[in-house]
Amino acid sequence: MRGEAGLPPVDMSVKVGPLALPSPVLVGSGTFGFGEEYAPYCDLARLGAIVTKAVTLRPREGNPGPRIWETAAGMLNAIGLQNPGLERFLAEKLPPLVAAGHVVIVNIAGHDVEEYVKLAGALDAAKGVAAIEVNVSCPNVSRGGIEFGRDPAVLGELVRAVRGATRLPLIVKLSPNVSDIVPLAAAAMEAGADALSLINTLLGMAIDARQRRPRLANVTGGLSGPAIKPVALRMVWQVWQALRPPIIGMGGIMTGEDAAEFMLAGAAAVAVGTANFVDPTSASRVAAELEDFCRGQRINHVSELTGGLQV
Amino acid sequence: MPHISARLTWNEEIGPGHHLMAAHAPQIAAAARPGQFLHVRVGPTHDPLLRRPFSVLRVDEASGQVWLLVKVVGRGTRLLAGMAPGAVLDVMGPLGCGFPEPPPGEEVALVAGGCGVAPLIFWADRIQTTFSHIRVVSILGAATEDVMVCWLDLAARSDEFYATTEDGSAGERGLASDALRGLLARRNFAAVYACGPRGMLKVCAELARGAGVPCFVAVEEAMACGVGACLGCVVPAAGGGYLRVCSDGPVFAAEALDWEALAT
Repeated sequence: MRGEAGLPPVDMSVKVGPLALPSPVLVGSGTFGFGEEYAPYCDLARLGAIVTKAVTLRPREGNPGPRIWETAAGMLNAIGLQNPGLERFLAEKLPPLVAAGHVVIVNIAGHDVEEYVKLAGALDAAKGVAAIEVNVSCPNVSRGGIEFGRDPAVLGELVRAVRGATRLPLIVKLSPNVSDIVPLAAAAMEAGADALSLINTLLGMAIDARQRRPRLANVTGGLSGPAIKPVALRMVWQVWQALRPPIIGMGGIMTGEDAAEFMLAGAAAVAVGTANFVDPTSASRVAAELEDFCRGQRINHVSELTGGLQV
Repeated sequence: MPHISARLTWNEEIGPGHHLMAAHAPQIAAAARPGQFLHVRVGPTHDPLLRRPFSVLRVDEASGQVWLLVKVVGRGTRLLAGMAPGAVLDVMGPLGCGFPEPPPGEEVALVAGGCGVAPLIFWADRIQTTFSHIRVVSILGAATEDVMVCWLDLAARSDEFYATTEDGSAGERGLASDALRGLLARRNFAAVYACGPRGMLKVCAELARGAGVPCFVAVEEAMACGVGACLGCVVPAAGGGYLRVCSDGPVFAAEALDWEALAT
């Protein structure tokens, strides 16, 4: 019990569309592996859900190195969806997470609509998956993500097809690398998405001027960390203003107050990503700090924050 | 693999841009194995953002201290090198896998290039205390004499010690791998352990393979998470795919890596 000085505990449970979560603080896909690496550092029981690294139908080797480069208050990555593939995920990675009682959201990425549909169908049949997050925004692979995330019609078609393959709550993770994110958010929701994850990384690059070479072997990569927080907040706010959908907000969250900012902008829940690399306790710490923030603000239920921005 | 606050107890510039630093971390001093690393935050703000990995140079279990060699290569290492004793460091570790137990034999070769000396000092120390029947033959290469740091720490833990510099300002003129080539021709090592620049590691791996001697290399790479989750620090594996330096390494059997892809 954290109840201090007789103050009533804060109800941290939230609903993200049909998905009921014990806490609004999740982890960002790709920043937490499949959970096991962080178990020694982070109190996983404090998290609303563990969002897995992207799973593809077949194993993927990923991109050559260098895959990461630190930038001002951020980092670039071009991992290239390295993962063991659906079969090994179901056999080796999912069961321990389910056995430990965690809420598991599986992020999926495919080359084409058929792969996404197969992935969704297989996860629907698996035991212990709480929701599917559809990755249509990976900037680091030539196929398998971003081309689905830039055109509302193409995105709508994909989401409709995946919707037909599963009864699980469907979250669509959108790319910020578009001129207007609202039509894409609308297309995903109209096609049957239950919630939106906003945002994936911003496409960027870094250059070694002396060698005249890109810092990443992939040349470009996805920018994450505190550097992108203002952009992420703006996009959450825009989508919330236009559509009022259930949103999982992310992009540079380092503290509980950062999380509160995303919720005020319209997010029902948030995800901690790059912060995990900086401080391996980040996700559980952000949850504790958000609870303290609510207590300090005399908020009884954390969901009261959602959309509470006064403009 | 604790995550702790450790008080800095020592910071000495032992060569241009090279700092020998120690921190009070009894848990790490007791648990660390040669070849493992610590993942250190360089400040409390978000810029620079990521931790920096450093091999453990040696530990003193009695005083609970752990020693690192910090070479200033950018903003993060400059901030760290600027910290005074008494400062508190945020440290994760020990992380990664260490050097495997030496195979049967009478002597082993340790080949260090530049800052790569750090894990080999710890390994020489551990061999002398734990595998005392094994003779340690060490080679330390550096560009010039002034950046040949910690040579005495390595020499003191070796039965034989050779130094090389590229300009001949200390020891033999040439590369550490040149010295290894000469020794492999006339000696029968049970294993070769190397840490240093990629090019040096590649030559050491080729030479050891040619001589039929097992070779283990400790690889350096920029890291984000340090615990195997982000897949940012990979090196190409022999036979395809990638291995994580932080958690599959940083020590690898030389034949586990794709040297053609690695050294380009």
